[in-house]
Amino acid sequence: MPSPPLTDRRLVFVLGKGGVGKTTVAAALALGLADRGHRTLLIEVAAETRTAAVFGTAPPVDAPVELRPGLFALSVDAEQAMQEYLSIQLKVRPLVEMMSRSRAFHQVTQAAPGLAELVTLGKIWDLATAVRDGRPVWDRLVVDAPATGHGLALLQAAASMRDLAGSGPISDQADAIERVVRHPEATGVVVVAIPEELAVTEAAEAVALMRERGVPVACAVANAVRTSPFGPGDADVLRTVLGDPAAGPAERAAAGAALATVDGAAHDAREVRALGDGCALPVAMLPAVPDLAPGSGGVEHLSATLMADPALGGTGAS
Amino acid sequence: MAMLRGRRVVVVAGAGGVGKTTVSAALGLGLAAAGARVAVVTIDPARRLATALGIPGLGDEPHRVDPAVVEAAGMRMAGTLDALQLDPRATFDRLIAREAPDDAARDRILRNRVYRHLSGAAGAQEFMAVERLHELVDSGAYDVVVLDTPPARNALDFLDAPERMTRFVEGRGLRLLLGPRAGAGRTGWRALQAGGHMVMSVVERLTGAQLLTDISEFLQSFDGMYQGFSNRAAAVHDLLASDSTRFVVVTGPRPEPASEAVALWRRLADEHYPLGAVVVNRVHPAPGATGTPDGLAGLLRHAGAPDPEGLASRAAAALEAAQARAAADAHEVGALSHALSGPPLAIVPALAEDPVEVAGLAQVTRALGDDARDPGRDAGAAPPPDQARRQTT
Repeated sequence: MPSPPLTDRRLVFVLGKGGVGKTTVAAALALGLADRGHRTLLIEVAAETRTAAVFGTAPPVDAPVELRPGLFALSVDAEQAMQEYLSIQLKVRPLVEMMSRSRAFHQVTQAAPGLAELVTLGKIWDLATAVRDGRPVWDRLVVDAPATGHGLALLQAAASMRDLAGSGPISDQADAIERVVRHPEATGVVVVAIPEELAVTEAAEAVALMRERGVPVACAVANAVRTSPFGPGDADVLRTVLGDPAAGPAERAAAGAALATVDGAAHDAREVRALGDGCALPVAMLPAVPDLAPGSGGVEHLSATLMADPALGGTGAS
Repeated sequence: MAMLRGRRVVVVAGAGGVGKTTVSAALGLGLAAAGARVAVVTIDPARRLATALGIPGLGDEPHRVDPAVVEAAGMRMAGTLDALQLDPRATFDRLIAREAPDDAARDRILRNRVYRHLSGAAGAQEFMAVERLHELVDSGAYDVVVLDTPPARNALDFLDAPERMTRFVEGRGLRLLLGPRAGAGRTGWRALQAGGHMVMSVVERLTGAQLLTDISEFLQSFDGMYQGFSNRAAAVHDLLASDSTRFVVVTGPRPEPASEAVALWRRLADEHYPLGAVVVNRVHPAPGATGTPDGLAGLLRHAGAPDPEGLASRAAAALEAAQARAAADAHEVGALSHALSGPPLAIVPALAEDPVEVAGLAQVTRALGDDARDPGRDAGAAPPPDQARRQTT
């Protein structure tokens, strides 16, 4: 069954090993979706303040802030989400306050493994299903998920809690969340890696695990891929120059730098292939951008590149 | 790294993506080459690294690296090098088996649904990394254990993990609230329980009774084990804070991991953990020449290039980019050195690709200042940290 293109799914999770540029990819994707006219919410999970480095504004935890026209950002914090959940479930304010003050209550929330992830996922689900005047509040939601292990725990939170809790309101809620998270029409996971062995291996293992658990994986993104402006024959003549006794130090250095560029691009191309093969997914490619600071144009450039990549366009593999 | 000689534990910490696993393996290789019996505990699935080391794949049990593989890469191997990959669940199960008062208690815990979730939860990794370290040190089979720390939102989460876990297993407040279900009924606590019952009845409305019953059973089955857990947490803390341990912080020449490294280093210093060194990994070296390659087009024409001018200008641009990269990295290293004010900085140059073979790993080992062809040092005598081989600025 062919799944819709990533850009048509309401809820997108951006997952990957620490340091591969998840925030960059999530920001570029969210910006691209907003540029296409979708009212888009970029969600940062728990105190990962990297969005600020790209857009110049740190996403608040209470209400979304508009970063660009049509692009909003929000930081989801487990504690805050727990409070909100209690208010909704209990309805009686003094009861809510009693619970939030109770040390015992905090012990229970710690004791139930995965509850923090569940309320975080619950909050995301709540945002994704929010309706105002008969229309969804958000057309698209892009979640900048925590690093692989914790990110997988987040995606798995509802299923874990449903298995653990047996029956009751939490179990019912977990079930409702789970139906959205596993729905390939509604949800898609983007796996980010840099072209290095460890990141590629970890991405492939994460994808295998998600497939096993029925999480709809949409595509992979290879970030910071080095490319080369040199043709197939160039390396040979450059090597000849490198061995030419007539070449001065500057000429040798230039030939060396050019050859290093060729080697670097070849290495990255191999790892990108390994990523596609290992994950059995289409791979979108992003170049290394030296400057992502607000106003540098870096994220706009990445966004345009990402949105034009055919890998985002749709896939049968999910 | 001379300062690591004679230590029993080396903890390698840092932000994600800076190459902690590679640096851990390279440090382990260096220490083993110098004569120590070394175990390297990795967290990441570094398959090609395992293949390169000539071991079939990393698992929970240590695999010995064949010295011939290391010697083929030009290093003399005076000690031994074992590598293993952390398996949190297997480690947790062993801990339970060791601490449980009897087989029935052990089986009750291993079967408990809360335990099954807990031992597989993402947070368990930090605790189990420290627990595995403790096991390996205790076994007496190694002179030194190198621990590659797990990726976490907070790179030092693992330091608090044993204590957090002990508190959780103890669950004193929770026992009170769960009341008779958790077997907490000491007189004098009953007044507290009365208030707790209300909280619990609200919680039960949310979670359903099943979850609370499971948690109660879980806590009950840990009865009589807190002391063991608590002793172990204290022992691990003492080991990590002792002079037998050195912390190595790894970073890259970029602002984000560098500021994280500075924060890490300061927190370790504030909490009196024994500091080793900061490793700046993948620093681009400056190209040898500084002039402009004016003669390149001529040389390329001579070599038979079809478009020598075009190729020359692209090569000149590549040189400029390499120079800019090296300058940016040098600037970042300088800023880091300034921010840290003093600790030894070890610089590992960027290799064409990440080391996935022993020869590449040996290059990193040498950059870290532990050249195995220099066997003149006594494994017991470690000079003070300020005598590290490399100091920038």
